[in-house]
Amino acid sequence: MEESDTKNRIKADRRRASILALVLSLQALASVFFIADVAQDLRWSGLNLHSGFEAVVAFALIVGTTFGSLQMRQILNRIHQAETAMSVASGAFFDLIEVRFAEWGLTPSEAEVALFTLKGLDTADIATARGAAQGTVRAQLAKVYAKAGVSSRGQLTSSFIEDLLMTPNNPAPEAK
Amino acid sequence: MSFRSDEPSGRVWDPLVRLTHWIIAAAIVLNGFIIDEDALAHIWIGYVALSLLALRLLWGFVGPENARFSAFPISFSGAARHVSGLLKGQHSSYPSHNPLGALMVYALWGTLLVVSVTGVMLDSELFPENEAEYSRQFEDDHEDDDDDDERNELIEDIHEGAANLLLLLAALHVGGVILESRLTGHNLVRAMITGRRS
Repeated sequence: MEESDTKNRIKADRRRASILALVLSLQALASVFFIADVAQDLRWSGLNLHSGFEAVVAFALIVGTTFGSLQMRQILNRIHQAETAMSVASGAFFDLIEVRFAEWGLTPSEAEVALFTLKGLDTADIATARGAAQGTVRAQLAKVYAKAGVSSRGQLTSSFIEDLLMTPNNPAPEAK
Repeated sequence: MSFRSDEPSGRVWDPLVRLTHWIIAAAIVLNGFIIDEDALAHIWIGYVALSLLALRLLWGFVGPENARFSAFPISFSGAARHVSGLLKGQHSSYPSHNPLGALMVYALWGTLLVVSVTGVMLDSELFPENEAEYSRQFEDDHEDDDDDDERNELIEDIHEGAANLLLLLAALHVGGVILESRLTGHNLVRAMITGRRS
């Protein structure tokens, strides 16, 4: 499933960010060590091959830490984007459902049955979840289909998918 | 049925902010109360604190939005408004530090910088490896000429004064966090541990 892929990616990125935070802390400690060491060597023995190379090492460490930080920022941005995309997707879908249910004039019970159907539950599951008889659920579902102008579960689901696909950059009404 | 918010998961603090925060906090407690000030460990812990402070300051420029200096500018009027809001029972929420918290953050960082830099200046041997070597250096220091002695005493005074100020600020910081958490119902301590805002 696409969503679980995204979630796994986010999880992996989060692990990466935590490890990078540790590595960056070590790099920072190493940088301070080398800067202090270079400063002392320069003061005591002046510029020579040893202190000169140490200065290069210190510089490389600082550059490495900076680039590591930038990379960590990118990972965090990627996590943020993925999370926002997922929440917008589910947000837009629920907004659309709310609007459609209201348009069709579903009663609260019918709306609940319709929502369970969209989530993929079959009649028996819905009956168990709502503590109702299967016959009741079937009757409610028939009313939902009639109000929505569809004749099957598949059509009900695809009517929503069609709407979402038609308006990719224009997510349903703003919900605050 | 609406599931939208600005920050989908309520994440406020990234791993680097949390890691540097808690290690520096531990370093301050260790060096301030537990480890003897003449001990070798005192120096090394100080270096760790300085390194992580430097990393956090770098992160203030390149990090994600919440961690950046621009997310919590120094604003006395903002802090005053925040306090009067709290007294009136209004709790504004901020994506990063609240304005009063921001002032404390800068005060803590500034003081820690003074403490750690004067600490480094006090060592004639940087990163000493063992007690013997370190104490010998220490003895040598005392045999130096008067000018050096005077300079060292001044640095030592600054180091101690700033360290005491740092502990006082840290205590105020903890008090402020507890108070703010109570008043707003957001557990700020948990946010700094898990990264999520409740």
